[in-house]
Amino acid sequence: MKRSGGWAGFLTGAVFAAIVLWSFATSDMELSRLLSAGPRIVEFLSRMMPPDPTVVTEIVDGTAETLRIAILGTLGAVILSVPLGLAASETMAPPVIHRSVRTLLALIRAIPLLLVAMLMVGAVGLGPMPGIIAVAFHATGMLGKFYAEAIDGVTRAPIEALESAGAGRLARLRHAIWPQMAPVVARDTIFRFELNLRESLILGIVGAGGIGFYIQTYVRSFQYDKAASVTLAVILLVIAIEGMNVALRRHFS
Amino acid sequence: MTRVVDIDDLDFAHAGADLPALEGVGLGVEAGEAVVLLGPSGAGKTTLLAILDGRLHGWTGRVSVLGRPLSPDAPPPAAARPDIGFIFQEFALVERSSVLRNVLNGRLGRMSTFAALLGRHSVHDLDVAHQAMADCGIGELTHRRVDSLSGGQRQRVAIARCLAQEPRLILADEPVSNLDPARAGEILTLITRAAAKRGATTIFSSHQPELALRVASRVVGMTVGRIAFDHPVGDVSEQEIAALYRNVAQDWPIEAELRLVQ
Ligand SMILES: Nc1ncnc2c1ncn2[C@@H]1O[C@H](COP(=O)(O)OP(=O)(O)O)[C@@H](O)[C@H]1O
Ligand SMILES: [Mg+2]
Repeated sequence: MKRSGGWAGFLTGAVFAAIVLWSFATSDMELSRLLSAGPRIVEFLSRMMPPDPTVVTEIVDGTAETLRIAILGTLGAVILSVPLGLAASETMAPPVIHRSVRTLLALIRAIPLLLVAMLMVGAVGLGPMPGIIAVAFHATGMLGKFYAEAIDGVTRAPIEALESAGAGRLARLRHAIWPQMAPVVARDTIFRFELNLRESLILGIVGAGGIGFYIQTYVRSFQYDKAASVTLAVILLVIAIEGMNVALRRHFS
Repeated sequence: MTRVVDIDDLDFAHAGADLPALEGVGLGVEAGEAVVLLGPSGAGKTTLLAILDGRLHGWTGRVSVLGRPLSPDAPPPAAARPDIGFIFQEFALVERSSVLRNVLNGRLGRMSTFAALLGRHSVHDLDVAHQAMADCGIGELTHRRVDSLSGGQRQRVAIARCLAQEPRLILADEPVSNLDPARAGEILTLITRAAAKRGATTIFSSHQPELALRVASRVVGMTVGRIAFDHPVGDVSEQEIAALYRNVAQDWPIEAELRLVQ
């Protein structure tokens, strides 16, 4: 027993060592390049300094477009998530349906947003449109699941009480199910919007609109001082969104 | 005159249960009676009340309520359901809604689909709801959210919702089991008075005989799925009541053994 345990330990160590060595062999990591990169990084950063403040209009426009992508993308996700959430809920849909819809939603969640955005740019061209479609698609994977959980988390007793009183299906949905679901749905949607906004910031890097588009444009045209301003703006926006997240968590906890 | 409740040879077993919850139950209730079902936990009181409310199916025998035979395997037509009111043991209220909204929920069965969906209540609906809240002593709580109320206040909201339904038969499952004896007496009096005022018949279950006998007109004793006795309240003996509880343990396996011995 002890011996075989030792062997297992040795084998695991050997496998890890092999993996790390293999990684070094396949990339062009060289100590000399790493050392000579030091001055180049300094030079690169110095070309970003001082950030060019004349791009304020681009920053404002880009931020506004990012906001629009997040808003419309969230709206699209809500519209898709209502029917998918109903179909994915155990209480509303038969097992065959809710299991397959849940699998579908998990698959959607598994596809990275940037990949969807790149495909959409290929399909519909540059601009905010592919960004909106990509956000709506990607966010549905999470929101549809959360809506289904909100439906399934509802207490049955008051629904049965209204049924016993003769209330019809729609009346039960409106007066017993919805009041229980609404706060959960509102919370999940707002949190998803916050995530969408965060993720929309960099969508422009693949050409899907928003403030990230300017970073990509300025880096490609070697206008590093302008790229620096936009990057700073993105950092500030991320901090602002983080603040919004903290406030939301406080409000909903 | 036809009986409000007419049960003949009713048998029922819960899905997955080894033993029947009701066996050969027969019961007739006339209009205006206040019947208490007395018996220990597991006697079948909840099961019997749920069958009368049209919520449990798969029984055999004959059951009619308010002159209408119940189907053993389907709920009653929606139009018949408002006439039977149910006060649930755990209240079954919509916690995040207001007291008034919960009481008005009792009116939904008497409205058109569209009006019920939009919650567009008539002046008459509001009058009935306010009268029900006044009778239950919660007129001051109209706009409070139910999740901010105490257990006793919630119980009153549940009763008001049932009264707002204007039922001709009121079924109440252990309506006072969560309350202290003083409150319990008040609530039982409240239910039977409000029912009498509206000309409704009442059947409620209880495992607190002293309180129940004060407000009921008739006592039906149940043990392990059978009716042990059925008398006007004046004719019940203490021995009969004690016999319901004697030798009956609170847990299921011993009850099951007792039934096998019988
Ligand atoms: N959902 C259920 N599934 C299986 N057995 C049940 C269920 N509900 C009640 N029973 C059983 O049926 C019998 C009667 O229960 P119940 O009607 O709740 O009695 P009571 O209300 O008098 O306490 C008990 O033996 C109980 O264990
Ligand atoms: Mg019970």
